[in-house]
Amino acid sequence: MKLPWGDGEKRKKELNDEIASHLQMAARDREARGESRDQAGVTAQRELGNAAVIQDVTHDQWAWTWLEALLQDLRYGARTLLKNPGFTIIAVLTLALGIGANTAIFSLVNGVLLRPLPYAQPEKLVGTTTYYPKGPLVVMRQQSHTMQLVGVSDNKEFNLTGTGDPVRLIGNSVSADFFSMLGAQPAMGRTFHDGEDQPDKDRVVILSRALWEQRFQADPNIVGRRITLEGEDREIVGVMPADFRLPSPKTELWVPLDLDPRNTGNYWGDSYMQLIGRLRPGATLEQARAELKTMRPIVLAAYAWRMPVNSFVNSSIVSLEEAIVGDARGKLLILLGAVSLLLLIACANVANLLLARATTREREVAVRVALGASRWRILRQLITESVLLALLGGALGMCVAVGGLSILKATLPPDTPRLADVALDGQVLAFTAVLAILTGVSFGLVPALGASKVDMTTTLKSGGQRSASGGNHRASKMLVVGEVAVSMILVIAAGLLVKSLWILSGTSPGFRSERVVTARITPNEMFCAVPGRCLAFYDELLQRTRALPGVKNVAAVNGLPLGGGAEIFPGVIEAHPTPDGAKVPMFWEKVVTPDYLQIMNIPVLRGRAFTEVDAAPDAQAVVIVSKTTAEHFWPGQDAVGEHFRPKWEQQWRTVVGVVGDVREFTITQNSADWIDGVIYTPYGPHAIRGSGADAPPAEMTLVIETAGDQVQIAGDLKNTVASLNHDVPVSQISPLKSWVGEAMAEPRSTSALFAVFAALALLLGAVGIYGVISYSVAQRTREIGIRVALGARRQEVLLLVVGQGAKLALAGVAIGIAGGLMLTRLMSKLLFGVQATDPLTYGVVALLLMFVALAACFLPARRAMRVDPMVALRYE
Amino acid sequence: MKQRYQNRIELLQGTLDLLILQTLRWGAQHGYGIALAIRANSGDILQVDTGSLYPALHRLERQRLIAAEWKVSENNQRVRVYRLSAAGKKKLASERSRWAQISQAIAGILGPAGEESEA
Repeated sequence: MKLPWGDGEKRKKELNDEIASHLQMAARDREARGESRDQAGVTAQRELGNAAVIQDVTHDQWAWTWLEALLQDLRYGARTLLKNPGFTIIAVLTLALGIGANTAIFSLVNGVLLRPLPYAQPEKLVGTTTYYPKGPLVVMRQQSHTMQLVGVSDNKEFNLTGTGDPVRLIGNSVSADFFSMLGAQPAMGRTFHDGEDQPDKDRVVILSRALWEQRFQADPNIVGRRITLEGEDREIVGVMPADFRLPSPKTELWVPLDLDPRNTGNYWGDSYMQLIGRLRPGATLEQARAELKTMRPIVLAAYAWRMPVNSFVNSSIVSLEEAIVGDARGKLLILLGAVSLLLLIACANVANLLLARATTREREVAVRVALGASRWRILRQLITESVLLALLGGALGMCVAVGGLSILKATLPPDTPRLADVALDGQVLAFTAVLAILTGVSFGLVPALGASKVDMTTTLKSGGQRSASGGNHRASKMLVVGEVAVSMILVIAAGLLVKSLWILSGTSPGFRSERVVTARITPNEMFCAVPGRCLAFYDELLQRTRALPGVKNVAAVNGLPLGGGAEIFPGVIEAHPTPDGAKVPMFWEKVVTPDYLQIMNIPVLRGRAFTEVDAAPDAQAVVIVSKTTAEHFWPGQDAVGEHFRPKWEQQWRTVVGVVGDVREFTITQNSADWIDGVIYTPYGPHAIRGSGADAPPAEMTLVIETAGDQVQIAGDLKNTVASLNHDVPVSQISPLKSWVGEAMAEPRSTSALFAVFAALALLLGAVGIYGVISYSVAQRTREIGIRVALGARRQEVLLLVVGQGAKLALAGVAIGIAGGLMLTRLMSKLLFGVQATDPLTYGVVALLLMFVALAACFLPARRAMRVDPMVALRYE
Repeated sequence: MKQRYQNRIELLQGTLDLLILQTLRWGAQHGYGIALAIRANSGDILQVDTGSLYPALHRLERQRLIAAEWKVSENNQRVRVYRLSAAGKKKLASERSRWAQISQAIAGILGPAGEESEA
C-alpha cells in the first residue's frame, strides 16, 4: 500500500485535474456532434453532476482521511485553547508542574536504578553483601567456578608529597584484574597486570582523569612518572577515563591490593573489603549464591585460628547494581510514589476544569452533532484537545524538570550512589512524552464521554440553560474529594518527615558543636612507625596551636563523631569471657588527648576523665567507656574498676570512667549494628590499633575551642603544621557545626523534597476546591437569588456555600487519613522519633487541609452572598 | 448529497468494478474513455455515472488492481490513464467466472418462471 503521508493535497489537486480533463473531453465530443461551445460546456457539466462531491467521495476511497481529521482536530483544538487563554494557562501550568516533577524524579530513578552500569555485560556483574578480608578473597578466587571475584577496598586516603603542597587523596586498593574483569579500558597507559597485587610488585598506581587534570596539569607524558604516595614510591601506569567511577565518584587513584600472607593480622583480620565479580559464562546468580554457601566452611578452615562458627553466615551475592545502590532504592521509590500522587492531583484538577467547561460547551457540541458529526468524532475531537493540552504541559514540564533536576542534584547528599549518572536523556524524554499522552487521555476521557453524550434536541431547545450538568457536577465533586484525599496523604508524609527532622535537630548528638573548629592532620602512617616521632609532633603541634591567637583550648582525636572514623578491634571483658566459637565483641575506640572530653562537652558520668599522666609510657593502661557500653557489659553494676583488654593482649586495662553517649556513627545511631561497645583511650603508646600495629594512629583531627575569627585560625594552623613538618597535609578546616550539618543533609533533603511536593499538592487541591465551588455558585445563582428573595439571610447563603465545600473537604480528609495510615507505613525507615501513625501530625494536617479548603470556598461564597435577587432571577 | 452518491456506489460496486477491469483488458484508457467504452459496448444501455466511476477507479487503484499515470492524449490534452495490473488480470479472471456462475444461477431461477408468466 502506498504511504499517504503528505500526498493528500497532491492527490486532491490531481483528482481535480482528472475531473477537469474529463469535462473537457466530454465537452469537445459534444461540440464535435454539433453543439455550440457554450452549450456543450454546460451540458457536460450537468451530465457530470456535482464535481466537488465526486471529488470528495473519490478522495475518501483512499481512506487516509483519519490523518487529515487528526490535523483538523488539532487545528480546531489549538483554536479552542487559544480562545480560552485563562483556562489553557491554568491547565498547562498545572500539568507542567505534575509532569515536570515526575520527569525530574524519574530521571533520578532512571540514572540510579534503571540504567545499566557502564561496563561490558553489566547484567553479569555481582557483588557480595558483606565484607571479607584479603585471605578469604584469595581462597574464594581459587575455589569459585561460577564467578571471577575481585576485591575493592573502601575509600582510603593517601598523602601525595613531593609535588607542590602535600595533599590528601582518596584512593582504593583493588585486585590486579579489577579493571579487566569489568572490561574497563584506560584513557592513557594501561591497567594493572596480573600479579601486580602480589607483595613487592605493587608499586604502581592508576590516576583518575580528574586528578590527572587538576594535580598534574593534564601532562600527556604522565605515564611512567613516579610519585610518592604515603611515603612510598609508585609508578603511574595509567589514567582512567572520566566516566569510570567505581567504587565511588570520589575515587582519585587506584593501587593494587598488597596480598601479603606474611602480614597475618592484615591479611586475615582487618583488611575487610567489598568483593565484586563477574558471573562466568553459563553461571547464574542462584548458582553463585549456592556456591558462596559451600565455600564458607573452606574459608573458615583456611584461618590459622578458630573463627566464630557463624562468621560470614549472612553474606550473599546480589547484582552489582543492587550492591552499589543499596538503601537508596527504597527512598527513591518512595519519592517516585509521592510525585506520581502529585500528578494524580494535577490530572484531577485539569479534568475538573474540563468538566466545568464541557457544560458551557454543550451547545457547541450539540450544534456539531446536529450538523452530522458522530459521537465517536466528537469524542475524538475532545480527546485530541486534552492530549494537545497535556503535550503543551509536557513540553513546559521538561523545562520544569531541567530546573528541578539541577536543584535536586544540589539538594541530594553528594554520596548518593550514581548521582553523576543522572541526566535528562532520550529515555527520560520518551518517558515524559508517554506520560503526557497518557495523562491527556486519562484526564480527558471522563469529561469527553460526558460531553459527547449530549442530547441534541434538549440542549438546543433549552437555549442557554445547562441540561446535562447534573452528572458532570457529581463527577467533579468526586474528583475534588479524591484530590483532597491524595493531597492529605502527601501532606501527612511531609508532616511526618518534617517532624522527624525537627526532633532530629532537637536531639543532642552527645557533644557541643558551637565555637569548635576542626582540622584533619594526616601524616603518613610510616611517620608514626618510628617510636616517639609522632607523639613529639602532636605534642608540639597542640602546644603551638594552643598559643595561637583566638584559641582557647585544643585537643586531638583519631576521628570526629558522626562517622569520622575510629579504631576497630575485638575485645575481651574480664567479667564475661566469650565462649569458644561465639562472636567476639567488637569495639570502636576513640583515641583522644586529655582535653577532648571537656572541649566537646561530653559529660563524665562516673569515675574520671583522662589526665596527662595516663598518656605517659610507663603509666597504667586505662580506658573510659560510653554509658551504653557500660550498661551493656556491666548491667546494674559500676563499670569503673572493671577490666577489659583487646583480644590479642594479655595485660588487662582498667575502666576509670563512664561518659555520656555520643552519636559516633550517624545522626540517628550511636554505633554501627555490628559494634558492641565504644571506648576511649589516651593518645600515646597505649593506644590500641585495630591492625595490631605497635604505634599510635598517625592521622588525628584537632578540635579547637575558639573565641575569634576562624579564617585567621586556618592560616595560622597551616603555617604551624608546615613549620613542624613540610610533608603533613592539613585539610577540612571547618566549624564542627558544618560537620554536624552534613550529617543531617540526607534527612533534610528528603524532608525538603516532600515539603515541596506537599506544598504543590495543597496549592493544587485548593485550586480544585475553589474551581468546583465557584462553578457550583455560578450554577446556582438563580436558586440563591430565589432563596434571598424568599427571605434567606446572607449568613445562611454563606453557610450554604461553605458547607458544601466543607462536606467535600471532610470526605476527602477522611479518605486521606485512611490512605495515609496505609501508605505512610512504607516510609517508616525514613522517620526518626515519630510513628508513621503519629496522631498529632494527622490531626494538624487534617486541620490545615480543612482550613485551606474553607479558605478556597470563601471567595465564591462571598460572591454568592452578594447575589442580587433581581439580577439573578433575570439571569439567563 | 454525498450520501446519495455513496449509496449508488454500493449498489453497483461489484459489477462496475468488473466492467472497468474488462474494459481495460483491451488497453490503457482514461476515465472518460472507459465510460464511453462501457456505454458503447452495452449498446447504450449502461450509462456509467461519473460520480460512481471515479470512486471506483480510485478504489481499484488503491487495491492495486489497476495502475494510473498521467499522459498526453492525441488531442494534446493531459489525461490520467489507467491500465490493468497483473493482480487486476487475475482478479478479472476470477470475477468473470464468478459472474458466469451467478448469472447462470439467476438465469436458472428466472428462466422457467419467466416463461410461465409470459405464457
